[in-house]
Amino acid sequence: MTISHNALALPIAWITLPFFIGFVIYLLPKLARLLALSIALLSAGYAAQIFLMGSPLNIQLLDNFGVTLIVDQLSGFFILTNALVTSAVILYCWQTGKKAFFYMQIVILHGSVNATFICADFISLYVALEVISIAAFLLISYPRTDRSIWVGLRYLFVSNTAMLFYLVGAVLVYKANNSFHFSGLLDSPPEAISLIFLGLLAKGGIFISGLWLPLTHSESQSPVSAMLSGVVVKAGVFPLVRLALMLEEIDPVVRFFGVCTALLGVGYAVFEQDTKRTLAFSTVSQLGFIMAAPVVGGFYALTHGLVKSALFLIAGVLPSRNFQELKERGIDPKIGITLIIASLSISGFPILAGFGSKVLTSKNFLPWQVIAMNIAALGTAICFAKFIFLPDPKLTFDRDARLKLEGETKKKISLGFWWAMVILLGGLFEVNAFYYEAYTLENTVKPLVTIAIGWLTYLLIFKKLVLKLPRAVEKFDHLIGIMSLMLILVFWMVRV
Amino acid sequence: MLEAFVLATMLFGFFGIIFKKNLVMKIISMDIMSTGVIAYYVLVASRDGLFTPIIAKANQVSYADPVPQAVILTAIVIGFSIQALMLVCVMKLAKDNPTLETSAIEENNTP
Repeated sequence: MTISHNALALPIAWITLPFFIGFVIYLLPKLARLLALSIALLSAGYAAQIFLMGSPLNIQLLDNFGVTLIVDQLSGFFILTNALVTSAVILYCWQTGKKAFFYMQIVILHGSVNATFICADFISLYVALEVISIAAFLLISYPRTDRSIWVGLRYLFVSNTAMLFYLVGAVLVYKANNSFHFSGLLDSPPEAISLIFLGLLAKGGIFISGLWLPLTHSESQSPVSAMLSGVVVKAGVFPLVRLALMLEEIDPVVRFFGVCTALLGVGYAVFEQDTKRTLAFSTVSQLGFIMAAPVVGGFYALTHGLVKSALFLIAGVLPSRNFQELKERGIDPKIGITLIIASLSISGFPILAGFGSKVLTSKNFLPWQVIAMNIAALGTAICFAKFIFLPDPKLTFDRDARLKLEGETKKKISLGFWWAMVILLGGLFEVNAFYYEAYTLENTVKPLVTIAIGWLTYLLIFKKLVLKLPRAVEKFDHLIGIMSLMLILVFWMVRV
Repeated sequence: MLEAFVLATMLFGFFGIIFKKNLVMKIISMDIMSTGVIAYYVLVASRDGLFTPIIAKANQVSYADPVPQAVILTAIVIGFSIQALMLVCVMKLAKDNPTLETSAIEENNTP
């Protein structure tokens, strides 16, 4: 052990503090918002420290049966995402009169998501993922309506069943290596790999095992959807990325699922008529981009987390969820601007961070991935054209109509909403600094062409097209049944 | 042999989750599946021996592996708390859906 005690104490204190503060919040409800916000800011500070640290930090507590942690740049990106999204969500909820219980769950969720981003053995990961399930469930069912309870129960059921498979995989890894460390996965039998993958894929909302995600994310309250889509699904994706980077043999499997889910999500998203469901399907697809190029997945996760939580928060203050209805009723131009900025970023428009992450990711594709991922990028541009062409430019000049809309939205929007937008959209401009090399002429042309083709296709075809895709696969029984199919698929892939 | 039984328990639990119509039965099936998983951990722990791993003055005996046992204890606690939460949900849902048929609950609560 060469690490000094100070270097060790910091990450451990940082990882346990949210859980401690979570319970303190419940005892001191008056300080709830303040404490929750300071935990999120603390994580942001820790992420900054990781970026300054340079070399990765490996921590092994006890001997080789103990907890192992890895803190490196990749974790840094994910932790920063978590910190920014959590603080934006807390600010958004500032004046909404949520109870201390809500903030307690937010903080515990924040802490357990952070834990997944630094742990390096299967059991710590299991515990962190299960705490996430419980905290996320309590947040989803916070309104206590029948529907929210059902959506929460469905989420908890699917993720717990997936985690049972994962546990079996974990013990098989232990059987082969006498240790739960990630690196042991390779020496384990193929069934161990497929069981663990099944758990993580289902938890992360990837490919067909992620079909639970659209309903859950679209039926939760907007701040909760923002949390779920912005960071919580990344807790399932992060271990996959980490495994792909650690073990060369796992890399193609992760990339393959990345491509599949990118296409699947976008295929559903372009036909969707509901704003929040479009966003949820787009999450399924964007996670694919993170996994398709694991080396640079961290940066993509950061930009996606910022933009998707911003979009969910905006969708929450819009007067309706149906695109057609929104077109007829019109949108307050001020909200329209935030909507356009966020949609441009996710489509990969320059100046915004989405551009840098798209360029960086596309440079790390393998040859067989390029065509499929370009189609997925085009699909993203098409589905966000739906949002970009939503605000009516004429309204900006029509004073009466604008004032009427502003009056309507004033009731719904508090100052907190704008603070959240400052953090998330401001973040989109600022994180460009991580990869400013992207701004060369040839890099800029490709995303612009993609966006142009996307918009053209939207205006010519998809704007008029109304196609309702069947939702039968999202039924509860099928979600569980799909797991057995995924298990066979991964098993077959690992064997070959 | 024992391994086959344990795996069968897991499999039956899994099929129960899919094929049972009643929500409570589904939750019980999930419990059966997790019982299978727990038994599997215990089985793996007893690969090298059956004795409880406590240091004593007794003769050299072959001890069971304490690590999987310790780990599964955590999983049991988590599984049980999740089940408690689920049953509370079922109690709430039962007010409006007294039969607790999953398909009916699903129909009432999906947009």
